[in-house]
Amino acid sequence: MKSFAKIGLVAAAALALSGAAQAQAYPDRPITMIVPFAAGGPTDIIARIVGDHMSKTLGKQVVIENVAGAGGTTGITRALTATPDGYTIAMGHLGTFSAAPATYPNLKYDPLNGMQPIGLAGGTPILVVARKTLEQADLKSFVAAVKANPDKFNEAHAGLGSVSWTTCTLLKGQLGVPKLNAVAYRGTGPALNDLVSGQVDFMCDQIVSVAEQIKAGTIRAYAIASAERSPALPDVPTTKEAGLPEYQIEAWNGIAAPKGTPKEAVDKLVDALNKALNDEGTKKRLLDLGAVIPTVEERTPAGFAAVIKRDADKLSPILAAAPR
Amino acid sequence: MDMFSNLALGFSVAFSLQNIALCFVGCLVGTLIGVLPGVGPIATIAMLLPITFGLDPVGALIMLAGIYYGAQYGGSTTAILVNIPGEATAVVTALDGHEMAKQGRAGIALGTAALGSFFAGCVATLIIAALGAPLTKMALLFGPAEYFSLMVMGLCFAVVLARGSILKAFCMIMLGLLLSTVGTDLETGQERMTFGFPPLADGIDFAVLAMGVFGFAEVLRNLENKEARDVVRSKIGRLLPNWDDIKQSAMPVLRGTMIGGTLGILPGNGAVLGPFASYTVEKKIAKDPSRFGKGAIEGVAGPESANNAGAQTAFIPLLTLGIPPNAVMALMVGAMTIHGIIPGPQVMTKNPDLFWGMIASMWIGNLMLLIINLPLVGLWVKLLQVPYRLMFPAILIFCCIGIYSVNNQPMDVAFTAMFGLFGYLLIKLGFEPAPMLLGFVLGRLMEEKLRQALIISRGSFMTFLERPISAGLLLVAVIVLVIALLPSMSKKRDEVFTE
Amino acid sequence: MSLNPAERSRGMRIKSTQDFAAGLFMIALAGLAFYLARDLSAGTLRQIGPGMLPKSFAAICGGLGLLLCLSSLRYEGERLAGWSWRGVLFVLGGAVLFALTIRGFEIGPLRVPPLGMAVSGPIVVIVAGLAADDRNVKQLVIFAAAMTLFCALLFKYALGLPIPLAPWLLGI
Repeated sequence: MKSFAKIGLVAAAALALSGAAQAQAYPDRPITMIVPFAAGGPTDIIARIVGDHMSKTLGKQVVIENVAGAGGTTGITRALTATPDGYTIAMGHLGTFSAAPATYPNLKYDPLNGMQPIGLAGGTPILVVARKTLEQADLKSFVAAVKANPDKFNEAHAGLGSVSWTTCTLLKGQLGVPKLNAVAYRGTGPALNDLVSGQVDFMCDQIVSVAEQIKAGTIRAYAIASAERSPALPDVPTTKEAGLPEYQIEAWNGIAAPKGTPKEAVDKLVDALNKALNDEGTKKRLLDLGAVIPTVEERTPAGFAAVIKRDADKLSPILAAAPR
Repeated sequence: MDMFSNLALGFSVAFSLQNIALCFVGCLVGTLIGVLPGVGPIATIAMLLPITFGLDPVGALIMLAGIYYGAQYGGSTTAILVNIPGEATAVVTALDGHEMAKQGRAGIALGTAALGSFFAGCVATLIIAALGAPLTKMALLFGPAEYFSLMVMGLCFAVVLARGSILKAFCMIMLGLLLSTVGTDLETGQERMTFGFPPLADGIDFAVLAMGVFGFAEVLRNLENKEARDVVRSKIGRLLPNWDDIKQSAMPVLRGTMIGGTLGILPGNGAVLGPFASYTVEKKIAKDPSRFGKGAIEGVAGPESANNAGAQTAFIPLLTLGIPPNAVMALMVGAMTIHGIIPGPQVMTKNPDLFWGMIASMWIGNLMLLIINLPLVGLWVKLLQVPYRLMFPAILIFCCIGIYSVNNQPMDVAFTAMFGLFGYLLIKLGFEPAPMLLGFVLGRLMEEKLRQALIISRGSFMTFLERPISAGLLLVAVIVLVIALLPSMSKKRDEVFTE
Repeated sequence: MSLNPAERSRGMRIKSTQDFAAGLFMIALAGLAFYLARDLSAGTLRQIGPGMLPKSFAAICGGLGLLLCLSSLRYEGERLAGWSWRGVLFVLGGAVLFALTIRGFEIGPLRVPPLGMAVSGPIVVIVAGLAADDRNVKQLVIFAAAMTLFCALLFKYALGLPIPLAPWLLGI
């Protein structure tokens, strides 16, 4: 037993040394992809689907590590303060990269200048949904009713910093009713439960969370906040068609690395991400979720950085002014 | 009847060689992680998600479900043997189960838990098959107001958990509630009582608190009290329950199954209340309530059945509404989503083989768990014979690794040590930690639901009394409290605060 | 109630030192919670603020503590028992060392790299094991090595948890 362990140690040491000798051969060990949310959520699923294929291209396992907390900022902080060697990357989203600086005043990272973007991995459209018993049949009459009598309505969201909170705060800001009653839940599940049972009136959330309920008719969809209708829900009009063109927002997910990550590693990661998103199997799995495959431009560090900045500019003034 | 043709479809799916094998693997892994303190089903299911990529969705979900209820079985083993409840639902089992182990009746406690769970699992499977769809409506009847009242009722149960002074039990409940408010406020994002310390931003993790005040503190207590731990080692006793034990636990199992099964259906982790409610009922209707907390077999049989029944009926909101009632079920949503099945109200009609296959596999899984666990009882009991000087370092390394892997946060391990000190202090001051854990588990939900209900009612407390279900629950709470306090009130003045 | 319980007790005999200490403990915790929650707004019933429940719970805790102190003056109860520092030091110290070394830490000038389970595992087993009266150091060291190997196989490989093994040696 003992001698066996010794052989193992020697072999491992030899491996480690040879790894150090050929420093160019990135990656020579598993890569940790930090997902700043609990396993099983939309971000985690996208990370696992994309990470699975990236492992094949990179030749080393991409290990998903869920570090949940503080609206995802705990995990992103850990990833962005790790040694910038390409072995720690993070899968963040709209909230952690664009909205967090305005949401969390004490944020310990800077998504615009303090990190190395890799690329977008997937986008999930946002829908405005309401309980099925709500009088207003379409978005236009709903918007009119909310503006006329904001105190009559209850909005549900999945907690400060969540996608549903971020996107609905944007909606309320654009409608000029920032103080509308907001009912906070811990996660989308309980919020949706109370929407289905009619305890609350409306919420905004990602298509993957609400699509099946809409199809079953347990909740009503007013509009989808993207440029085009979703193939998963062809009957739901876009916000543009429904009369609220300024409400355009998507809950994208993207990969980033700490600032200072070697260019060689960045290039390989970008390449692996692109290969994953070009793979038919991976693509189909993402499309099944109702996700949108990012354009070739958005899958590059520069393209991703532009997306982060675009949404940060859109969200920051409204989030900063939102009542707490 | 429709149900039988559906169940037949389910069994034809579940009895395929591959699915039986997957079910077995799931149950085995589940038992293993349940036994290991700290490593919960959440971390394991998350880690095993990618492995299921290659499987078909039914097989994958059968395996993951096996892990989930296997972990419930395994969790009671650790609670009974070393007094470490890995999950909120095992807290009650630890109370009398570990006492039984100390009396050399560990095997009987484990056997009773396994048999009770098996019975509860069988009944719960039938409930899901027969009543899954109609029961869905029940989940939708519970709004924030009803939920708040349910939590209040649950806290009243906690008083009964007290083994000594009722006043001290009240102290522990309130302390649990107070601890539950630590962390970032859900609505405003303000940090509350965190000392500005980032790892506390999301509050205190249940595993950290439970492992600290139960696990670590128990080690400290045992190190000091040499005789107590050697008693565990010297007596092994019978391995499996005999006829008398079974007769004694039959009714508690039946009642526990009913209570747990009902509460499990409620959204928002109602299943947590099941074991506590069952324990309360058993203690209150027992001829001699003083046996509870000192190794009463009913205190293991009832709550364990309630736990398993609740764990299974928790699938009802997921399968029929598509809404996950707790964190593990949220993971199951993730698992289904990865396989292209997005849970919703239509799963039953769109994927009947998945729906009924899973239900059938639950029954098979319960049978397998019994087959896995009964022979293991002897092995587990033998583990108690490991000298304590080696056993507690082993417990410690398992706890450390387990706690670390909950959130991959080293600080959590340090916090657990701190709560170990806290728990040791509580022991020295004569407090019982069990009511504190219940207060802690319910506190966070209670605050959320209170705030939600009051926003919706625009600040009117009458909402809790105007809604019939909520009012009914509050009435039960008052009755429970009166029953709990009355016997002590009628006693002599000197005993006012002890039951 | 201007006198604090300690002063009041001078006039009376404390019949249960354990209950009395428990009461003081509750009051102290309530005080700490109140201090920490001082800046949190309680809000209104319509829009409950973050401070409402922590402050209410703390107030009730303090009240119960006071009641406990008073009852300890009247009713017989347990005495406060002794405290064993060795267990606390070694057992909890072992766990803290595990926390500090598994991923490394940096406190001021003191910097420890991530050592992984290969080092943290034996540390926790050996340090904690020293707390037993009947400790056997040689046995403990062998046991520590065996447990660490077992845990590495179990957690890292069988369960696939992303726990660092020995980043300084194996890179994982």
